[in-house]
Amino acid sequence: MRLQIPLAITFLVGLFMAVQFFVPHEMFHGSLENVLAWVRIVGAFALVLGIGSLLRTHWDKIRRRRRDWPYSIVTILSFLAMCVIGIGFGHEPGTVFYWVFENIQVPLDATMFSLLAFFIASAAFRTFRARSTEATLLLVAAVVVMLGRVPSALIVMFGDTSVGQYLHANMPDVSEWIMNVPTVAGKRGIIFGVALGAIATALRVLLGIERSHLGGGGGGGR
Amino acid sequence: MKAPEARTTGLVMALLLASACAWAADPGAPLNLRAADDPEDDRGIVMLVSWDEPEAPPPDDVQLVGYQLMAAPAGESLRLLTNVQLDEGTQSGSNEFRPWPWPGYNVAVAAVYAPEGISFDYLVDEDGNVKDSRATVVMSDTIGPVQPVGLWFDRDRTNILVLVVAICAIVLLTIAAVRGHAEDVYIRPIAGLEAVNDAVGRATEMGKPMVYVSGLSGIGDIATIASMLILGHLSRRAAAYETDIIVPCNDPMVMVAEREIVRQAYSEAGKPDVYRPENIWFVTDSQFGYVAAVDGIMVREQPAACFYMGYFYAEALILAETGNQTGAIQIAGTDADTQLPFFITACDYTLMGEELYAASAYLARQPLLVAQLRGQDIAKVIIAAILIVGVAAATVAALASGVVADLAMRFVEWFAS
Repeated sequence: MRLQIPLAITFLVGLFMAVQFFVPHEMFHGSLENVLAWVRIVGAFALVLGIGSLLRTHWDKIRRRRRDWPYSIVTILSFLAMCVIGIGFGHEPGTVFYWVFENIQVPLDATMFSLLAFFIASAAFRTFRARSTEATLLLVAAVVVMLGRVPSALIVMFGDTSVGQYLHANMPDVSEWIMNVPTVAGKRGIIFGVALGAIATALRVLLGIERSHLGGGGGGGR
Repeated sequence: MKAPEARTTGLVMALLLASACAWAADPGAPLNLRAADDPEDDRGIVMLVSWDEPEAPPPDDVQLVGYQLMAAPAGESLRLLTNVQLDEGTQSGSNEFRPWPWPGYNVAVAAVYAPEGISFDYLVDEDGNVKDSRATVVMSDTIGPVQPVGLWFDRDRTNILVLVVAICAIVLLTIAAVRGHAEDVYIRPIAGLEAVNDAVGRATEMGKPMVYVSGLSGIGDIATIASMLILGHLSRRAAAYETDIIVPCNDPMVMVAEREIVRQAYSEAGKPDVYRPENIWFVTDSQFGYVAAVDGIMVREQPAACFYMGYFYAEALILAETGNQTGAIQIAGTDADTQLPFFITACDYTLMGEELYAASAYLARQPLLVAQLRGQDIAKVIIAAILIVGVAAATVAALASGVVADLAMRFVEWFAS
């Protein structure tokens, strides 16, 4: 029963979600809204569990004086401070909560995001080395796309010569072609595979063929 | 004046007076009420109601200011659905109806009169009900029961239904066909999945933990579900070797599910005492806050292996590059085509698109799952064939004319719609 009941629930709910996609009737649409409301309710309870786990993890770290435990104090204090400020004084524009969010959280997020620029540079440096035919093709395509995006660089490279002017005029088109034809073709191939994989995964979870998420030795009846 | 003429004049006067009194007591009601289903509404919740204006003009000091559309299931008293200003005409729609199997509705429209100079908005309260005692509300005849019609099938999605049913049928038939000899089915080796065992072994030998990130989408995303299936296999192996697996989560529902999966895996491996629930915790649902936390974990813990399985956004490269700098063996899998190049660049192995979904079956090597992979491949071949036929049909539609071009165009449009 420990296995059968979750499998039955998964099957019934999954079947309902699949059927409702094709049935716009209010009976199904209304039920879908109810199901989604339940998801939000369960999510709210899960958030309580999540916050509990966060606090427990960091409290445990402080209590046992594990490595870098002072950071856990910062985490817990920040969490409590935002709770007190938010619940006590509201979170609308003009409140302390809003100020903290705008002046601490947002800049911190932006800082993390900005790291992406450096990581792209380091990753590109590693990748764009012509070690094999494929890597060389990748390198050439990347250079063409980059020059196509900033064609004035070609004038700088070749000067105001006929070659420079020709490349300046045509490189954007070549770049667009690479982005619109081979790149899109590759992407669509991946998307087809993803769609098929998603259907097959959904099918095997719905039918109980896949049970590794419920235990049972990795799924797959015989 | 002669007596008969005086009698006639008196009679006319009496009739006019009676008519005026009738107006003063009860101005005209909307006429010829009609209710029809809204053809644009597939759900079956909208009815379009129309009516004719009252025929006779109201008394001099009173004016018609608007209408009220009222309805209720048969047997219940009418309630207000919506107010209609005079300049909005004599029709209105409401989305508060329900189709069969709910009971039908009785519908009526009330004309609202008020002394001159008073607007409709002034007469009604915040719920839309007429509150002003100077207003006169005159109800039309009630019609019904009527109700909108809900569609039981969205014909615009026929092509999707056909393809989904076909793919499911292919997968199920393949499972039935290869059931007895699934071990003979060839599965293309996937380097990223072959490396999972190496990664676990490396972590065990080095005595370092593994970090598992299951993407940033919620539990409703199929990629997250696929990721959790992989986590089940991975944690079973980690349990067997008593290697720590750290799973920072950015969605509390995913955290709850993953805790249960890992706990179950350790129990199945016969090592429930090795399971450490504190290694699977909710960090934050902020995208870059989560990235900062996971990067910090990787830098501090120096894991032997990092797994990124699921759906990722801009954080993909930040995570993978940080993992790369720690020297960990990195295996990623995602169906986010925009992030695949970053993972390919920064990770040792990358599961591209469908490989993420095939991973669980590949790792489990159970006959049914292997058979399902075969079915998936057959469906892929059929889709490729349809693509080729579609390209040919589109070419024919563009170049030819007549019946053949029409048929070719219909074929293309059926898939494109």
